[in-house]
Amino acid sequence: MVPGRSLTRRTTVGTALVAPLLVAACDIDPPSRDNGSVDAAPPPPEDSELVTAVVAALVRALSVVEAATLSVPDLTPLLEPVATAHASHLEVLEGAVADADVPTPPPPRIPPDRAGALTAVRRSEQRLLREVRRGCAGAASGDLARVLASMAASTAQHAAALGDLPAGQEES
Amino acid sequence: MTVLDALQATLADEHAALYTYGVLGARTSQATSPALFDTLTSGYRRHRARRDQLQLMVRDAGGVPVAAEVAYDLDGSLLRPPQLERAGADLEAASTERLLALVAQSTGSVREWALTEATWSAVWRLQLGEAAETWPGAPELDRV
Repeated sequence: MVPGRSLTRRTTVGTALVAPLLVAACDIDPPSRDNGSVDAAPPPPEDSELVTAVVAALVRALSVVEAATLSVPDLTPLLEPVATAHASHLEVLEGAVADADVPTPPPPRIPPDRAGALTAVRRSEQRLLREVRRGCAGAASGDLARVLASMAASTAQHAAALGDLPAGQEES
Repeated sequence: MTVLDALQATLADEHAALYTYGVLGARTSQATSPALFDTLTSGYRRHRARRDQLQLMVRDAGGVPVAAEVAYDLDGSLLRPPQLERAGADLEAASTERLLALVAQSTGSVREWALTEATWSAVWRLQLGEAAETWPGAPELDRV
């Protein structure tokens, strides 16, 4: 059995980064440190920058999914779960990022055909996956790393689901 | 919990996972359910490699790898292919959760390995008939 890990949305990453003392108080085990102590100091700046980078990647990936859906409406049933996952991931992280730091990506250019739009989404998801993995590997906070690892696993699942389409379905 | 504790806990789960995969494979007909048989066989091999790697990591961390139990309790009826497939999917969900705990408790190469394995287990659930999730391994983050 996996030990209980009751991180709730009330103690999301955003809250954890904004109010680091709450992290020490919540019942998630912190990452191990050399001295084994729980560090109640503010999170190192690199985690804030890292979260900002992941949020930017999520916003960009979401814009690609939305643009693909607009370009090829038939893709809506396929891409809606991807968009829902990205939105949920953003909801957890965005509290840690100042509004001014959330980028507005330029409108992505999506091919008007089904195969081209799907290819654009797949590439975008792979790019997002790399960014989330990079963030997970580099996070100083173990709780943040765990959240990012779950995001990476989700992104990989959705990418696999998109990749598993029968070849004939990808043709417009 | 130290990194060594987390590695040992993950290894203990891997022993159970290997046992379970062995039972699932033994109850799956290669003749009548070849796709499921291949999926379970691939899963068994992945978890066997994972167990071996965890044993190395535990030794590298200065520990003695925890041994497997003689047998493990299996939940529910495991006779028909859908039941076997679901049991495999549940196993991978538990593995993802455990590996995410290891991600939280570790840094560097151990964390990167745990992340890779957690991602594999999450994606393998799709091979076992499950849909993509929003928070694999961290279900408490899903909206209630």
